[in-house]
Amino acid sequence: MTAVQTHMDPAVRESTVAVERRRGGLGAALRFEVRKLRAQYRGWAVLAGAVLAPIPIVVIINGQSRPPKDTLFGRFATDNGFALTLLILGFATQWVLPLLTAIVAGDIFASEDQHGTWKTVLTRSTSRAQIFWAKTLTACGFAVLVLTLLAASTIASSLLIVGHQPLTGLSGQTIGAGTALQLVTASWATTLAPTLGFTCLAIVLSVWFRNPAVGIATPVVLGMVMVLIGGLGGIEIIRPLLLTTSFEAWHGLFTQPRFTGPLVEGLLVSAAWSVLSLGAAFAIVRRRDITGG
Amino acid sequence: MTPTLAVDATGVTKNFGPVRAVDEITVQVAAGEVYGVLGPNGAGKTTFLRMLFGLIRPDCGSIRVFDKSWDQAGVGVLDGVAGFIESPRFYPYLTGRANLEGLALLDGGTRAGLIKEVLDIVDLTDRADRKVGGYSYGMRQRLGVAASLLREPKLLVLDEPANGLDPAGIRDMRALVKRLAASGLTVLLSSHDMGEVEEICDNVTILNRGSVAFHGTIAQLRTMAPDPGYLLATTDDRRALALAEHHHGVDVSLDPDAALVVTGRRSEVSAFVAALMRADVELLGFTETQTPLEALFFMLTDDTRPTSAHRSNQAQEALR
Repeated sequence: MTAVQTHMDPAVRESTVAVERRRGGLGAALRFEVRKLRAQYRGWAVLAGAVLAPIPIVVIINGQSRPPKDTLFGRFATDNGFALTLLILGFATQWVLPLLTAIVAGDIFASEDQHGTWKTVLTRSTSRAQIFWAKTLTACGFAVLVLTLLAASTIASSLLIVGHQPLTGLSGQTIGAGTALQLVTASWATTLAPTLGFTCLAIVLSVWFRNPAVGIATPVVLGMVMVLIGGLGGIEIIRPLLLTTSFEAWHGLFTQPRFTGPLVEGLLVSAAWSVLSLGAAFAIVRRRDITGG
Repeated sequence: MTPTLAVDATGVTKNFGPVRAVDEITVQVAAGEVYGVLGPNGAGKTTFLRMLFGLIRPDCGSIRVFDKSWDQAGVGVLDGVAGFIESPRFYPYLTGRANLEGLALLDGGTRAGLIKEVLDIVDLTDRADRKVGGYSYGMRQRLGVAASLLREPKLLVLDEPANGLDPAGIRDMRALVKRLAASGLTVLLSSHDMGEVEEICDNVTILNRGSVAFHGTIAQLRTMAPDPGYLLATTDDRRALALAEHHHGVDVSLDPDAALVVTGRRSEVSAFVAALMRADVELLGFTETQTPLEALFFMLTDDTRPTSAHRSNQAQEALR
């Protein structure tokens, strides 16, 4: 090991000492992430799907002569817009919501590997932590937006096409239209926490595997596996810990009396999945050597 | 007062599993100079530059940039530093301008008109509003330079900027680097092309298999360079070989491809060629095989030589 001494003009030396420069920070990184998302067709396609897809589904179910009686609220789905909304909600939580959120969250980190752009963004004036949180906030923001649009479109199309008659609850009680609308809206809102849980799961997979396909598909597959496991008997200890169980917490809103224990439990379980996923993802991003690109 | 070095890397080592990519290298670049890091592919140049940018953590050693280290200053180390590692990469679904605007955001914004200025410098103004996915390799290289200049750096780090470019692209890129260097920027240039470094740099470090094989000035390197080599095609190689025995300043041997390989000082080689003419041995071809610095570079980085001691001996032989 030897050192090399270099020669320089003192005048140049004095003039070339680096200056402190402004830095972008989290806000700037967030704005850049949103710009990138807006420039991609995929995000717009998902949003358009969330708005438009419920309409033909509502039309098709409404047109069926025999309602899907073996599903929750399926018995009333062709007669009652609130029931049809809840039927679609139950279906959406099986795999649709994990997929819609993973399309962005499962790709948002892995696409930097795909395009080789980690070195591009990490050689600017923004730290790894700021880039990480900007991406996470973008993915979570997108999840909130897509859930809101899907819920609004499903509720509006169901009520407009099928009607807004009073709803029969799970205990056989009649729920007036005004209360039913509040409860249906609240039901969709309760899926936000597990949806964000799946978003964070997609993020850690995106970070870990560095492959958009894995980041997008794996949360959907894991969701299906959780549904399968949740359906098995004799696993009462594990079942509440599954992220998909949190998607069912709204059932208690439609019983007489209502029970909210699963909502709190679901919130805690979703938070735990989110924190663990993001913690692992953050640790990987912080420690990773960027050798590719 | 001790002058602030633009780059002060001391004893830097990096292992990837069992492979030692960089082995205790020390590189010090003074502010205002144009410094070359030279080596064949896999020598550790890019790993070193990635460590400089904080993309890779060194296993040991220290790297300070303008007297700041990553441990103390975090991303603040990159204040006044810009460049690219290997080929610059951008978001293909964004235009060239949108890419620059986004990167400017990450830098905390730029002064008004700077994006247009840097696009002008790299001659991309008329293509700035096309998506990068449709850019040629050379255009992406130039956009990489533009993205670097956007930071108005004091230290510009360029990793093989001419790599993958066609001859016209190489010429343009070298001219651009020369222009930037002439403007007073500190430039740290990595390359595997001795000609490129010789043309642009004041000082050079030659890396081989992760270790420093040489560092010093280009002038020092020249003094170590062996005699140039030439390929001669004649009408009578046997007679030419016989004549060579009377010219002690040249070393002539017969190449398996039926050409004569001649090494020696230019004056001695000229005298030998003149002797061939006088002896009616016609010269059918005369080609310089490699420049002296290229020859030295290959000697220093020849993997068939197992130790640096051997390389050093070879360099000393070249000196004699």
